Amino acid sequence: MGSTITEKIVSRAVGRTVKAGELIEALPVDKLYFNEVIGPPAILNFQKDFGDVYLDAGKRMKVFDPARVAFMPDHTVPSCSIMVSTGIKLMADFAKQQQIAMYKEGDGIEHTIASEEGFVLPGEIAVATDSHTCTQGALGALAFGIGTTEGENLLATGELYSFTVPETVRFHVEGNLQLGVYPKDLVLHVLGLMGEGGCSKRVAEYEGPTISSMEMDGRFTICNLSVEMSARTAIVNPDQTTMGYVNNALSGKGQTISAEQAGMVMRSDGDAGYSQTLNIDASTIEPTVSLPHSPANAKPVSEVSDPINVVFLGSCANARRSDLTVAAKILKGRKVHPDTNLIVIPASRKVYNWAMENGILNTIAQSGANIESSNCGPCFGKHMGILAPGDRCLSTSNRNYKGRMGSPEAFIYLASPAVAAATALEGRIADPRKYLGD
Amino acid sequence: MQLRGKVAKKYPDDINTDYIIPAYLLQESWDKQFFADHAFEYYDPSFKSACRANKESIVVAGNNFGCGSSREQAVYAVKYNNVIAVVAQSFPDIFYRNALNNGLLPIQISDTSKIDSGDELLIDLDARSLRDLTKGTEFAIAATDAAVEQMKRGGFLGYVRERLRQKLKAPDQ
Repeated sequence: MGSTITEKIVSRAVGRTVKAGELIEALPVDKLYFNEVIGPPAILNFQKDFGDVYLDAGKRMKVFDPARVAFMPDHTVPSCSIMVSTGIKLMADFAKQQQIAMYKEGDGIEHTIASEEGFVLPGEIAVATDSHTCTQGALGALAFGIGTTEGENLLATGELYSFTVPETVRFHVEGNLQLGVYPKDLVLHVLGLMGEGGCSKRVAEYEGPTISSMEMDGRFTICNLSVEMSARTAIVNPDQTTMGYVNNALSGKGQTISAEQAGMVMRSDGDAGYSQTLNIDASTIEPTVSLPHSPANAKPVSEVSDPINVVFLGSCANARRSDLTVAAKILKGRKVHPDTNLIVIPASRKVYNWAMENGILNTIAQSGANIESSNCGPCFGKHMGILAPGDRCLSTSNRNYKGRMGSPEAFIYLASPAVAAATALEGRIADPRKYLGD
Repeated sequence: MQLRGKVAKKYPDDINTDYIIPAYLLQESWDKQFFADHAFEYYDPSFKSACRANKESIVVAGNNFGCGSSREQAVYAVKYNNVIAVVAQSFPDIFYRNALNNGLLPIQISDTSKIDSGDELLIDLDARSLRDLTKGTEFAIAATDAAVEQMKRGGFLGYVRERLRQKLKAPDQ
């Protein structure tokens, strides 16, 4: 029997062939990144728990490999409190001392810039202190979230301990997404099929003609939301689309893919072992909305028309170029509904500047939207766009838990950027297809 | 190794870490007790007092306890309210690992529906059994050898320190 891409990546990392279910005592990690939520306590714990070990060994305190680590402040930036500022300052000082890359506030959401900047590459094992690290699976990397303690351990040794090679669920997707239907609709539909715990402990591997013809933006979206069915992570086998994206990201830094990096690119074998296979016909999927209070509570847009007074287009799920492009197409020459507040946050500085240069931000601004510099925004429920009791928000993010974006008495709906734009115009959940006919 | 505690709270499926500790608090302290003081403040404001009423409390839940965000503060929020273990039918990986790393026992059994608030439970890690002393019932604990070992040690720190010590001995460091 062949191997899944996940088994191959772990095998490469440990230097022997492993299969799902095997326990790896110490898994070497290729890339590690931190946001400003967990970075500061992880650094403090690293210093507290390991400082004496370096001292006893007569060595300077140094992280396992500074070139493999990055800090990306994104959740509540520009900073909104003294503690947040203190944490970011602590990260910046530590980064300078350790020669670790430190991104600036506004450079973008960690999971967007990790791939956009060529920091994470296909075939790598990448971990970060955030559950949506699975977004990097779109590159064909094995990427998942970790907690603070694992973050501090990794700073010291670059290893993850007691790691079980996960089994894989294969999502075989065929059929064209219809006009007005996007990868976000596909993944919300999948969450509806699987439930919040449906993919627990297993990797969601997406493949088939629909995935092969999907651009990277969409692949990032489907991998991003897979953690909402509790997947260990999600992954897409790298292909020409992936490598084109990676080459473009590296050329932005004046680099090309090295022979070693190229050798790390893996794909699942045709006879790989899967714990389950689901066949999905994408052509039958409608624009989809997940209703309060679960990402798995997915319904076709035709079944809902609830009033909405806040629309958020942003987050690591959906605020890339193609997302802003479709929103601008719908908003062009129209006005946001008088009872609705539309907040738009591009996923990175590069996306922001690109959208500004080609007029997309102008179109969005003219419609009456609030455009903020790149950060996680209202999805994190701390520093902007906080919901009041009774508010009804439609968001392109990934979690609509009660209280996620502010008051626990607010209602959050999840949908695609197209549904978000149409909803912003109508002040109630709206089908975007009527705005998209050419 | 045996641990005994009283069920202070019982919850349904899919309790996410946003319910356990809301995001707006995460950056406001580096003190673990701070998160315990705000545990479940939206979802269940009675969590703290119920758990603090016992010296050793246990939380019982259905499937998928601790889903969603990777925030380790969710483990601190539970643990530092006198909670020694969460007994559930399943846990997503990140929460499970965070719990192990902090000495909060994530105890997985196949059916938690017959355990009620107020029951006295006895966790026997060597026998991999959970006894409901109030009901006189017994359940098998599903856990790998490595997880049981980590539960007994209360975390991994000693092991990681030793790994680092070995690495620092290597000449290239």
